Amino acid sequence: MTVATDSVSPRASGLSSRREEWRASIRMNHLLWVVCALGPVLALFSIIRVYPILETIRLSFYRYHPTQRTKPFIGFDNYIRLLEDDAFRTALINTLQFCVLAVVITLTLAFTIALLLRSIERASPIYEILLYIPVVTPWVPASVIWKWIFDPQHGILNYWLGFLGIPKLAWLQDEHIILYAIVLVSVWKMLGYFVVVYGVGLRNIPDDLMEAAELDGATPWQRLIYIVIPMMKPIILFTVIIATIIFFNVFAPVYVLTASAQGAPAYDFKVVIGEIYQNAFVFYRMGYAGAQSVVLLLFVLTLVFVQFFFLRDKRGV
Amino acid sequence: MIRRLLAIAVCLLALSSVASADEKTKGKLSIWLGYPETLDAFKMGQAEFKKQYPNVDVEILTFELREFEAKLAVSVPAGSGPDILALHDFIFPRYYEAGALDDVPADLAKAINDKAIIDTPFKDIVTREGKPWGVPWWSGRNGLFYNIDHLREAGFNEPPKTYEDVWKYAEKLTQKGPDGQLTRAGISLRLTGPSGGTQKFVYFYYQLTGEQMLEPGSKPGTVRVTIAKNIDAAARALLDHIDHLHGAKKSDDWALKHDAQGFASGAASMFMRESWVIPYVKKNGPNIKFGVVPVPRDKAWGAFNAVEVLSVSKDSKLKQAAWDFIRILQAQPILDNVLASSGWVPLRRDRDYSAILKDEPRFAEMTTPPAGLTLYIEAPNTSYEEMTTRMGEIIQAAFRDASLVGNMDGAKKVMMRVNDTAVKILKDNGIYSD
Repeated sequence: MTVATDSVSPRASGLSSRREEWRASIRMNHLLWVVCALGPVLALFSIIRVYPILETIRLSFYRYHPTQRTKPFIGFDNYIRLLEDDAFRTALINTLQFCVLAVVITLTLAFTIALLLRSIERASPIYEILLYIPVVTPWVPASVIWKWIFDPQHGILNYWLGFLGIPKLAWLQDEHIILYAIVLVSVWKMLGYFVVVYGVGLRNIPDDLMEAAELDGATPWQRLIYIVIPMMKPIILFTVIIATIIFFNVFAPVYVLTASAQGAPAYDFKVVIGEIYQNAFVFYRMGYAGAQSVVLLLFVLTLVFVQFFFLRDKRGV
Repeated sequence: MIRRLLAIAVCLLALSSVASADEKTKGKLSIWLGYPETLDAFKMGQAEFKKQYPNVDVEILTFELREFEAKLAVSVPAGSGPDILALHDFIFPRYYEAGALDDVPADLAKAINDKAIIDTPFKDIVTREGKPWGVPWWSGRNGLFYNIDHLREAGFNEPPKTYEDVWKYAEKLTQKGPDGQLTRAGISLRLTGPSGGTQKFVYFYYQLTGEQMLEPGSKPGTVRVTIAKNIDAAARALLDHIDHLHGAKKSDDWALKHDAQGFASGAASMFMRESWVIPYVKKNGPNIKFGVVPVPRDKAWGAFNAVEVLSVSKDSKLKQAAWDFIRILQAQPILDNVLASSGWVPLRRDRDYSAILKDEPRFAEMTTPPAGLTLYIEAPNTSYEEMTTRMGEIIQAAFRDASLVGNMDGAKKVMMRVNDTAVKILKDNGIYSD
């Protein structure tokens, strides 16, 4: 008995091997193509993103002052010092308070506005554009404008509030009010972005589903709770994470609003990024600022993981 | 053969010396400034410099002060900083300690060491172990600015003369609206910006103690903290601030316009600041009639001085040209311009500022300190900004604490915290002195 392979002609065998070679060449070329396409992006990503993070982690173990000759390795000393640093603790608490308020208010308002805009489908793009204008306005000029609005003596906000009988408030000078002033600016700035994101999500909910629920006698509230919110869960997860990252990294509005321009003093409201900036570029404690950055990174990562755990759609896993 | 080789070597040597001479007179001289108000003076210098160095381009860049400091900190160690460094006295030690500055030429060093040309405190600030590292150029000298009309309205014919007077005047000069809120500060205090706030708090502390909170230590570059030693006076200075920010004696409020802006707009009757305020108020508050006197005395009588120092980077390729530029900046017309346009006080004593003083006699308070007035300067050290920021944060938080009104023990505790914070930072940086 002869084996089947014996019956294959030399011509067929040659064809098969050529086909294999061709496949191998495609595979090789494909790999080459992938490397060529992704390589520069990955290289750029490594240089711009990965390397600075690794370098920051390395620096956090050194006493690194750019103008000093020696930069000794000090192990975990920078991290130990962080535990005793009142300014960093205050900044962390302030940032957390700010982040919670800003995320909750921004997302609740954005979701409500997006829902309302869904009911005026034709006009909604106009409102979305209007709401999006602050998003494309850079933080610094926006904050400078708000600084004028908040001026306790001549600001338009106190002027308007005066009509309601509310006495003049020192928005940026009063240590108890400044948090809300910064939240107000941040919500105004980022609201439009989340309205657009929610708007896209709401438009993707099938009309049939809503109509069927309406026919079955579901009230608008029931439709919101049992259809809209469950279907929007992935979008809500995305927005909560993005908003948390954006607001936890707050710096520019705080810096501009509280910058101690000599004529317009403001309360020294500390936030984590502000502390990192101050240690790195005012005190030149680069190593210590590195340790603060690492702690911030771990903090935000933990928050994101917690949010993923609670908000992800478990049925989809 | 040997002759031929020698001839080639001589030719190469001649060529290289021509090239190196060319390098010294050709290229771009870079100058960065953190005080843009002196730009005009530098431009005057640039015009003169061009006559000496027609092939050297001069690039003068101005930055916001903090941005300027950050740029220097990063670029100078990397060898990419400017050729001429215009450094404030408190950041100056970072650079000479790091070996980033060129040796001061003999003629300029001689001038710095001559009392008839540069006052001793200003020589000391640039000198480490007998060797100067830069040329002290101008000083920001403080004084008490007062609104003449406000004082007259309140029945005062002359400015306050003592520390006690300052607070009494402030109470009387303060104005309130029908709602009880302050509409005018009797004295505009420095309530925010912790680093500058520490400096301004010392204006009061010094008169009570005859010392700054941070004084030079026993070894060069080290610092000693004087608060614990002067705790009663320190607490008194703090309490005087707190008592005039809350309650019946309230003479200032966070919601008012402050500092030079507040003074120029008539929202403050008095405040303490440096000489640059004179041209500032003339420009921004042309209707404000004001005078300036040295900070009123108590136990001591001193005037604070912040000094601007001109140095050349060790990495500069145009060292000779850079020093020549600094020499040009010592000329009378340029120093006149510094005084008249920026209000900073030039430190050359061998120059005659009478032409400027004729136009603006108030500068005389700054250029010609009265007999008995001590000129003091911050202790040069590498941790100035961190220390003054952290100390000021504690002081300014206490300003807001109304429970401390009239509470001497509470004030002492706060000032001891300020003391301990400074000591901790100094020890951490290895520059603490008993």
